[in-house]
Amino acid sequence: MSTVPPFDEIVDGADPERVRLRTTHDLLLSAGPPPELPPSLEAAPAQQSQVIAILPRRRYTAIAAVALAACALFGVGYAIGGRDVPNEPVRTIAMTGDSGATASIALLAADAAGNWPMSLEVSGLPPLPKGKTYSLWLTRGGKLAESCGTFAVAAGTTKVPLNAPYRLKRFDGWVIVRTGTKVPLLSTA
Amino acid sequence: MSTPEVTDGALIERVANQEREAFEELYGRYARPVLGLALRRIGDRGRAEDSVQEVFAAVWRSASSYDPARGPGGAWVYTIARNAIIDNLRRRPAPTVADPPEAVSTSPTPDEEAEASWNTWRVHRALETLPASERAVIDLAYFSGLSQSEIAEFLHVPLGTVKTRTRSGLARLADVLEGEV
Repeated sequence: MSTVPPFDEIVDGADPERVRLRTTHDLLLSAGPPPELPPSLEAAPAQQSQVIAILPRRRYTAIAAVALAACALFGVGYAIGGRDVPNEPVRTIAMTGDSGATASIALLAADAAGNWPMSLEVSGLPPLPKGKTYSLWLTRGGKLAESCGTFAVAAGTTKVPLNAPYRLKRFDGWVIVRTGTKVPLLSTA
Repeated sequence: MSTPEVTDGALIERVANQEREAFEELYGRYARPVLGLALRRIGDRGRAEDSVQEVFAAVWRSASSYDPARGPGGAWVYTIARNAIIDNLRRRPAPTVADPPEAVSTSPTPDEEAEASWNTWRVHRALETLPASERAVIDLAYFSGLSQSEIAEFLHVPLGTVKTRTRSGLARLADVLEGEV
């Protein structure tokens, strides 16, 4: 595996656009990869979020009271009919690695659009320098196939929500790698 | 691409008319560049993600101030983003550790840092314009460290196809970087 793509293999020596393509090549290398958006930022924010900031303080009190009442109602409803809990995992997937790190994925039911929300709980991976992340991938035939997002870890255990907007039957495993590499640190196999 | 892309400037003008669809299109183009800029300036991922929300709230509020005569839409979004991120930093400055007195700083100058931020922004924005087939080979070649033959194997396409897509992706990026963005 090479770390810098060989420009001379990509662009022929006689290519009339060689100079400007070289400039673009260099800009790509210096820019680095754009960051992955977390699930919380995948959709544009609602404009209503701007209104909240200018509400008078007393309105916050009213909102808090309504929220408290809603929580209480939810609690009653949960106690009465808690058998159909929508956030119950439909599948739990365990992952292990050579370094003693472990992870588990609690996969929730897919929504109508085909998103499989999940909660990834990971322990034992070393925290990375600022800006560096780990990635969760679905694999097929032992190769990285589709990314399910990136995340950072703290010392101890980290729990993070991720999403797999794919048909999971098309894949045969899960791995965690350092973003930008293909070396599995944790895997299901 | 088979159809010409609506310019950023045209989208901003529609956002000024409160068109949600245009706002979502603009968000799709700029969410990752904005997050990249915020990560670069703030460092902390959680705060950077918060600032993305702040940037797009500012875009929604300020779209009517966009004047196409003063520059392309991408530069306007960059200015809004930079100012919102600076506001975020002012509210809660990042913790700093003092350098040892004898140490010689090798950090880039503010001008160098500004130029690097701008170039990174332009590249990340330009990447969003690539068709999926070209985006995949560019990502794998430049950001995953795969050789051209590894990409061919990974994507199950001939090596010649990988080279053609990489070259055409570079050319398309060059067009965008030399154009409006």
